Amino acid sequence: MNAKPFHLNRTLLILIILLVVIAIWKPVALIYGFQRGGLYALIALPLALILGIIGILNLGHGDFLTLAMYIGYLLFENLKIDPLLSMVPLFFIFLALGMGIYMITIKYVLKSGELNQLILTFGISMVIIQMAELIWTTRPRNLYVSYASSSVSFLDFSVGTYEFLYPALAIGVLIALRLFLKKTKLGQAATAVGQNPRGAEIVGIDTNRVYFTVFSISIGILGIAAGVMLPRTSIFPLTGSPYTLKSFALVAMAGLGDLNGILIGGITLGIAEAVIQSIPGYGGWSDLVFFGVLLAVILTRAYRRSES
Amino acid sequence: MKNRTGLIIAVVGVLSVMISLPYYSGAYFLSVTMTILLNMTLAVSWDMMLRTGQLSFGIAGFFGIGSYVSIVAVSNFGVNNVVSIFLAAAFVAVIALALAFAILKLRGIYFAITTLALTMVFSVTIRNMPTLTGGSGGKVLYNTIFNGDTTKIYWLILTMALFTILLSIVFEKTRVHYAISSIRNDEVVAKSSGINVFKYLTVLFVITAMIQGVAGAIYTQQYGFAYPETAFSLDFLMLPMAMALVGGIYSTWGSVIGSVVLGLVAEYLRLVMPHGSKIIYGIIVILIILFLPKGIYGTLESKLRTTRNGARK
Amino acid sequence: MKRSAVLVVCLAVLFSVVFAAEPIKIGAVSPLGDITGKESTRAMQLAVKEINDAGGVLGRPLQLIIMDDEMKPASGAAAIDKLATVDKVDFFVGGMGSGVHLAEIPALKKYQKVTVWIGAADHNCENAVGADADWYFHLHPWDYQQGEGYGIAWTEIAKAYNIKIEKVFLAYEEGAFGTGSYTSYVDFFNQAKKGQGSWAAVMKQFVGASFKSASLGGGDYRAILNQAKSFNPDLFVWAGYDADAVPIVAQAKEVNFTPKLFVGAPPGWPANYGKNPLAENVILYGMWSPTLSDVSPAAKHFFDAYVKMYGEEPTGYFAPLGYINIYFLAEGIKKAGSLDKNAVIKALEKVEFKDTALGEPLKITPSKVVKHQGFKYQKILQWQNGKQQVIWPLDLATAKLVYPFSFKK
Repeated sequence: MNAKPFHLNRTLLILIILLVVIAIWKPVALIYGFQRGGLYALIALPLALILGIIGILNLGHGDFLTLAMYIGYLLFENLKIDPLLSMVPLFFIFLALGMGIYMITIKYVLKSGELNQLILTFGISMVIIQMAELIWTTRPRNLYVSYASSSVSFLDFSVGTYEFLYPALAIGVLIALRLFLKKTKLGQAATAVGQNPRGAEIVGIDTNRVYFTVFSISIGILGIAAGVMLPRTSIFPLTGSPYTLKSFALVAMAGLGDLNGILIGGITLGIAEAVIQSIPGYGGWSDLVFFGVLLAVILTRAYRRSES
Repeated sequence: MKNRTGLIIAVVGVLSVMISLPYYSGAYFLSVTMTILLNMTLAVSWDMMLRTGQLSFGIAGFFGIGSYVSIVAVSNFGVNNVVSIFLAAAFVAVIALALAFAILKLRGIYFAITTLALTMVFSVTIRNMPTLTGGSGGKVLYNTIFNGDTTKIYWLILTMALFTILLSIVFEKTRVHYAISSIRNDEVVAKSSGINVFKYLTVLFVITAMIQGVAGAIYTQQYGFAYPETAFSLDFLMLPMAMALVGGIYSTWGSVIGSVVLGLVAEYLRLVMPHGSKIIYGIIVILIILFLPKGIYGTLESKLRTTRNGARK
Repeated sequence: MKRSAVLVVCLAVLFSVVFAAEPIKIGAVSPLGDITGKESTRAMQLAVKEINDAGGVLGRPLQLIIMDDEMKPASGAAAIDKLATVDKVDFFVGGMGSGVHLAEIPALKKYQKVTVWIGAADHNCENAVGADADWYFHLHPWDYQQGEGYGIAWTEIAKAYNIKIEKVFLAYEEGAFGTGSYTSYVDFFNQAKKGQGSWAAVMKQFVGASFKSASLGGGDYRAILNQAKSFNPDLFVWAGYDADAVPIVAQAKEVNFTPKLFVGAPPGWPANYGKNPLAENVILYGMWSPTLSDVSPAAKHFFDAYVKMYGEEPTGYFAPLGYINIYFLAEGIKKAGSLDKNAVIKALEKVEFKDTALGEPLKITPSKVVKHQGFKYQKILQWQNGKQQVIWPLDLATAKLVYPFSFKK
């Protein structure tokens, strides 16, 4: 929708000024926010793909992430595969899982309305959570790799280096996705379907194949996210669930179809959260900031549109 | 004519069975029934809003506000328990009306996520106002409604459910219905044919929010406590939605049937398999969506219609 | 063929002799999907099996009927109704979360059956039950009792090991559980300023800060760890959930925060926590540890029996608590000589165990509101070489405190 989100407009200028102010005022919060925001964006990207192109709000999004973390944990415990390496097998395992889920469920609800799709994914989410509870119990699992808590000292602060992987991967995945959407035939078809599914079908695009590919790749990306999260995250049946809501919020904030906006939005929200958390006594309000920023963005955009 | 007397007899029969339920059913079944009626109320109210084409994720938010207004009114200001429920309705109505101007311009997922984000905003705000609301530590009500008399509480919940169903039917049967479904089908056409879209949306948004607030107030009065996590639990959003869909959306009876079926199934599964019953529950939801995409009532209705049409031929 | 038929008849006769008596029905309500509820009900079944194998109570076997509360208030309340009216149980046991329990209390009051509860630490529950509920027995320590106990513990430890404890920092999760801890610490701090209360000697300064628990979608503690670091506390306590346990130490290491005493107070611990190198010398609040087997015969008996029956070790204190739950009730019934409510209440008031599966004695005393409170304090344990060693109570100690805390290079 928004083809040139990087052009210098007023909003971006204000954003940059704000960042500079924060960098002077709370340098550490800026770094933490950048790291966490990268993670939010990384996880939100696949949700945005599914929502933007297939039009399905996948309520099982975070639960696929949970499942991927459990599998990654098993790979580490049984085969001693380092979590960062396990991103590769996890991507392929979840690509396959995405294909399977698409073939046996999603395919059949494409025509039956967005609400049916929503509740279908709610059912899938419930089954994943309950299965995890039954197999692994609610007791969290953690894996230990020494590099996950390494840090560098600067001024009188010691800052962790591992979490820089989050924004790095988010940017990497974003670039890869943009290349896929721009340069490959299937990707161009997917973009067309996302913008106008009926039109795309008339032009002769096989929408089913597009949906199938997009869904599987999206679930596959969750495997990558799970791999990078593993060393620093407790794994339990509800680990991923909160990310469904956060990702949905991010996608709505960026606007449907705007993948770059997700990265910018994720980092903005991450920094806003981190700044509030760093003010003693106000940590409890950080959620409000997250959703407050979201509401502000959605409402101003709606009003700007209705004015123009 | 004959059909109508039959209908009246059926309605009177069901009503008298429901009203007299506390006299012959055990406490357990009554308890399960109350939960079903609560979810039914939420499901029907959510569906009423959905008929305009607006997907609201705000059930839990209004439910939670209703809960807190009611419990704060009783325990901080000594308001009578029953009065507190009306107070909750009024308070939620005011909030919904104020919000209506800001958010009813939004459509599709933007409306949905905004109502969901508002739920979070409400919950965080209440958590951070400990002197009034008890904050995260929650609030306990020592003088519960009707002194905890289950029969009276049941009638209260039944009244709420029946009132919601009645309201929903009235909206289905009257002029409002045509306005609403034309908004859903094509807003531009609706506007050009002179329907005040915003007015109808506002009326429905405020009314359904009020119903959800009342449900929260009654729930809190029934169990006598409120925590931010339980009052704003997304269970109060997802379960009613699933019930409406399983029963069949865009109709009163769909939500009613869906909440009865899923409510009983969930309770039965809990009894027969203590571990993992929710997996089966989830699978049932998936299967119904896959094989009965119109929901139970929707499928029955269209089957009925085809056989009727066939008979006519 | 014939021989097996005879065997069946013999067995049938035997069974009818043993189980001729109507069983004593006990209704348990617990969150079966959660590890705490799963283990506590397993331990209850173990206790019931042991008691029935030994001939039951009053010549009658015990029958345990378990209902899942699904961690939902309405489901918990419906479970009480079902057990009381459909199964017609004689007693209620069980429990875990406070939020669910608050919804169960009106139902429990309706039936007024003798209830022995092992969950719900929130003092709101105590207020909701009220002082006149003489049928209500609560075994788990209330939140404020735990806080009092820690004050006593740190005072004794400071003396025994000649350590200075003055500055206390509490990091608490922002939900009901953590905030409850925080308010009780604030109370103790206000008392300590006047030289009163159990914390008077070990709390000259106190600061608290909240975080969002990983179990609720948070998991970034670096902001509060930095706050704690600049405060430089002698005693750092975090009150969160099991999911926070590993990430919070990992992030403490990352921001280079090494308090002399690093204490966690979650209700449960993650699997294999002891094996994690970051866990070494972390201190924890809890009621039980497998190492209690070394100092307590009752704890050893429980541990061995549980492992034998289920083929795995219990992971948290809700397992021994569930075991005690049944034995305590059974002892009361035995002493009362009948199922008469008042007789059982009187008998339970007098039950006294010198040693229990938790390694400590059990005796009923009044708490702030309710008349019948069981355990009062938690223990202080420390992870040492992958095992939870008991540091306090000093007379139950299984190891010496390792001090100060530091990260392995």
